[in-house]
Amino acid sequence: MRRIESQIDVNAPDYKANHAAMSERLKEFHERQNAARYERPQRDIDRLARQNKLGVRERLKLLLDPGTPFLEFSTLAACREYEGAVPGAGVVTGIGIVQGREVAIHANDASVKGGAWYPHTVKKIVRLLDVALENHLPVVHICDSAGGFLPLQHGVFPDRYLGGRVFRNQVKLSQANIPQIAIVGGHCTAGGAYVPTLSDYNIIIEGTGAIFLGGPPLVKAATGEEVGVQELGGAVMHTSVSGTGDYRAASEQHAFSLAREIVNQWKRKPKTIIETATFEDPLYDPEELYGIIPKDRKTQFDMREVLARIVDGSRFHEYQPDYGTTLICGFAHIWGYKVGILANNGVLFNDSSLKAAHFMQLCNQNRTPLVFFQNITGYMVGREYEERGIAKDGAKMLMAQGGSVVPKFTVIANASYGAGNYGMCGRAWDARTLFMWPQAEIGVMGAEQAANTMADVKIRQLQREGKKLSEEEIAAIREPVLEKYSRDVEAYTSTSEIWDDGILDPADTRNALGMSISASLNAPIDDPHYGIFRL
Amino acid sequence: MGISKLLVANRGEIAARVLRTAKARGLVAAVLRHASEQEGPAHLIADEVVMIEGPTPVAAYLDIAQIVEAAKRIGADAVHPGYGFLSENANFVAALEEAGVTFVGPTSDVIDLMGDKVRARAFVEERGFPVAPSAIEDDDPATFVERARAVGYPLLIKPSAGGGGKGMRVVREDSALEAEIETARREGERYFGDGRLFVERYIERPRHIEVQVMGDGQGNVVHFWERECSIQRRFQKIIEETPSPALSPEQRLDICETAAGIARAANYRGAGTVEFIYAQDGGFYFLEMNTRLQVEHPVTEMVTGFDLVAEQLRVAAGEGLSAGQADIPQNGHSIELRICAEDATADFRPAIGDILLLDEPAGEGVRVDSGILGGGKVTTDFDPMLSKLIVHGRDRTEAIARARQAVQNYVILGVTTNTGYLDAILAHPGFASGDVSTGFLAEEAETLTAAGNDMSDLLMAVAALSDERLVAEVMQIPELHRNMGEWRN
Amino acid sequence: MRRIFQIAGTETECALLHNGSHFVLNRPDGTIPCQLDPAGMPGGYVLRSGGQVHEVRVAVGPEATFVHLNGRTYEIGRVDPAERLAGSDGAAADDRIVAPMPGVVVSVAVKPGETVEEGQALLVIESMKLETSLCAPRDGVVAEVPFAAGDSFGLKANLVLLAPEED
Repeated sequence: MRRIESQIDVNAPDYKANHAAMSERLKEFHERQNAARYERPQRDIDRLARQNKLGVRERLKLLLDPGTPFLEFSTLAACREYEGAVPGAGVVTGIGIVQGREVAIHANDASVKGGAWYPHTVKKIVRLLDVALENHLPVVHICDSAGGFLPLQHGVFPDRYLGGRVFRNQVKLSQANIPQIAIVGGHCTAGGAYVPTLSDYNIIIEGTGAIFLGGPPLVKAATGEEVGVQELGGAVMHTSVSGTGDYRAASEQHAFSLAREIVNQWKRKPKTIIETATFEDPLYDPEELYGIIPKDRKTQFDMREVLARIVDGSRFHEYQPDYGTTLICGFAHIWGYKVGILANNGVLFNDSSLKAAHFMQLCNQNRTPLVFFQNITGYMVGREYEERGIAKDGAKMLMAQGGSVVPKFTVIANASYGAGNYGMCGRAWDARTLFMWPQAEIGVMGAEQAANTMADVKIRQLQREGKKLSEEEIAAIREPVLEKYSRDVEAYTSTSEIWDDGILDPADTRNALGMSISASLNAPIDDPHYGIFRL
Repeated sequence: MGISKLLVANRGEIAARVLRTAKARGLVAAVLRHASEQEGPAHLIADEVVMIEGPTPVAAYLDIAQIVEAAKRIGADAVHPGYGFLSENANFVAALEEAGVTFVGPTSDVIDLMGDKVRARAFVEERGFPVAPSAIEDDDPATFVERARAVGYPLLIKPSAGGGGKGMRVVREDSALEAEIETARREGERYFGDGRLFVERYIERPRHIEVQVMGDGQGNVVHFWERECSIQRRFQKIIEETPSPALSPEQRLDICETAAGIARAANYRGAGTVEFIYAQDGGFYFLEMNTRLQVEHPVTEMVTGFDLVAEQLRVAAGEGLSAGQADIPQNGHSIELRICAEDATADFRPAIGDILLLDEPAGEGVRVDSGILGGGKVTTDFDPMLSKLIVHGRDRTEAIARARQAVQNYVILGVTTNTGYLDAILAHPGFASGDVSTGFLAEEAETLTAAGNDMSDLLMAVAALSDERLVAEVMQIPELHRNMGEWRN
Repeated sequence: MRRIFQIAGTETECALLHNGSHFVLNRPDGTIPCQLDPAGMPGGYVLRSGGQVHEVRVAVGPEATFVHLNGRTYEIGRVDPAERLAGSDGAAADDRIVAPMPGVVVSVAVKPGETVEEGQALLVIESMKLETSLCAPRDGVVAEVPFAAGDSFGLKANLVLLAPEED
């Protein structure tokens, strides 16, 4: 497979300007991520210490295999909600390695509002369990939660994909023969009690762990019975009287050591086999991505240069290189796994849509996972294209993409606007994992365009009423729209809302994809089958 | 009177060593074994293994009736007792005699004489041989304490029936004398069943020098020169050598002839060792006579070229000594190291364990008398000495170098041994200079047990990589994740 | 994976990792690459670590690894941290022996006021044609024995009560 030959000049002024801008962005990104992961008010840290509990990060250290990677999802979930007071939405999720096995992790962060479930917490947990279901990943739950955040219960409880979905997913995991273990290192109250009880195995830490459908205050209120936490649902009671608890751990260390032992005896199922090669690092330094990604969203760049810094050996076998040139299709290896890559180099036309559809069929036929690199502002519009059936061609691309049976992975590398997001496997299209780059944007259209459109509507309406607007008045209408819109399409908004699985430092993309692809192969790949292609 | 079948009433390294010579002389040879013992070199060499029983393994080896009966049953015409166990037990000799079985060793009367410290001392003193000032309780129990006082300080209280360094107490001040006498008496009763004592002047910084003698019981006695055994821990020898670096040629002759004279005076038959205390001023005093083959006899064999067990068998068979005094040379220098299962850093506490790997050194000038085989088990049933490492060199320097290399190459894994400690002694400048006394090991204890260089990184790497389960656990992590290492996004 | 190594009285917790091409030992002071390959003789290996090459002899026992290196012998105790924690399952000491099922008392071995030792047989019960001896869960003093030989009792009945332990 031939190597991509880079045309980038690292000394060019553009490169340097881009690099500087991205570095600035990344500095801010890493600071925010670190704060969300590690900075907590001292009183919360003290409270955990008083309760004799380890923090979630220390618990993960005890759980995970030393010297192994951890792909953390949605660190910045809820970063634009609740006045930033609920970092990470109070829960840590991701894919890690325990006793050599890939597992999905769901760990309450009791240093954030006692681990209470806010609406974003629920969404993040449901997402993690969806990842587990789709990829057949065993789950380790670390339970330590104050329960649902009552003032926002309407966002936590009633709807289909809210609180109940967590437990429904647990049932589905079990039904699909995917093991779960829960380590109860705090309270599991009411609904939360179902996390350990729906898990195949559970461990309760003596003194701190407890499971009850109603805690002591609720019991007293409901029936007048006075009973303490330990008698009502502590480790000793559940492991010796009710049989709800499987193992009583004398300490945190003991609990996690037991958990590892339990995971170690889960049967390891053979993974789906796809084409692989010996892995090798890209020929070019991934940090060159910082200079390739333009500092201005509107500036075009060649996706091949991006791919050259992500795929193994920078080797890429391009498919239909001379046709539909605004979409790059081709084969490469990432961490040894052969994948089919689709990457935007402009808007989507008829030919690029057709090429994409055909290419994706090839990949499905060949059991080749698909990786999408999005930088798309939309499909081409205009009479010529409509006459050529661009809507039909877009639909064919959607049929092929949506009907794909191979695992799909998406990186929103720059712009992701409108239907282009769909064709290129946006969130609604079941990418096994989907990540954003820090400068990326996602929305129905770009901020400028939206602001112009919405302002236009308003201006024409006022003009029909006979009002004529000055330059300043027009600006006064446009600016707020532009400002709000710009914020709405930012990567931080997307990640706050958990429309993605996290923002990535571009240099981390290869590892994130490698881990995602590896995890996805725990599930089988169906035979290809599609709906109807409107030809 | 010739011997055709020999029973070796012992075990471990000495049994193997005796059997080797017996076989070389064309004898049929049998050895004892207790059910608790793992298979050892002796069992492989012997033509026949005789099982013995007892409430403890040691008790079995002390069971005179059983052993004599065994000898008769298997048709052995002679029994070699090795050292320890029944080797100096006059009742055993008598029982064998009654059964018509030859005892390879002295007559029972000489065993009795020399076994009683008090009588032995008197015997030697009467005949003009040098003894240290002393007081014997038996002479006049009423005046014992006074007479003890008169011996002068420092003095050593010893049990009359004792041996092997047990029950001895040093007294430096008069105020402690009576209390120490009481304690020594109680210990004498406990260890030897006999609370009688005698007291000797305690020689400061003494050297322990002994002489190997052999007599044919017909009045002919030769000596096989001396051995220096000052390297002792808790009164037990762990390094022995010959010649002694302390003696001038004249002193050597003097001390060896004295020893031969004592043996001659007792009309000694068989192998024996006369032990002396050698003082810093060159004076020497009779300590005791061991009427058996000693542990450290191999160093004598290395420098003289004689097989002492062969000599014993000749004498027992009535063939007499094979050489006159003039035919016994002292060539070069030999050192013996006693390899013991013990922890030198924990006050020589005996160690137990399985011998997981055994690789004994070999080569020019290296001899190993071993009592163990790879895969064997070391328990507290018997003495902690596993084997003896004996080297020979053209001179003391070469012998020390050879000994160091051999003990460093002595691989015994699975049970703690004193190989490191022995090497530390050999490396010590005090030992190299030859300027030692029996207190040397105690004086230098801290230096000798000091930890060496910190090898812990290498050791942990070895321990981790040789732990199959650990390695398997690590390798079960998929290759991708191993390569990625501890990455976080 | 973690192990605790004991060398000459000092314990060090380490983790063994493999980075895809060779092993690495992770100790508190940092990581060191290492490799152990068999050499010709029994128990013989070549250790490569920190730029040095050493010939070693190794024997692995059930709880310790014995190494002969540079003319000296070493013993390295191995402890799996998990095993050490497994022992620490402090059983909740109880003040009562509770009937595991309904049955009949066959015999009673103790009286109120009597001092008993942990594990000491207190009474024998029979149920479903099986006799079971019930023992003291801890050292203590018998406070009450509500049933006598021949009496029947139900599930979870208190068969023996021990005087509460003074804290």
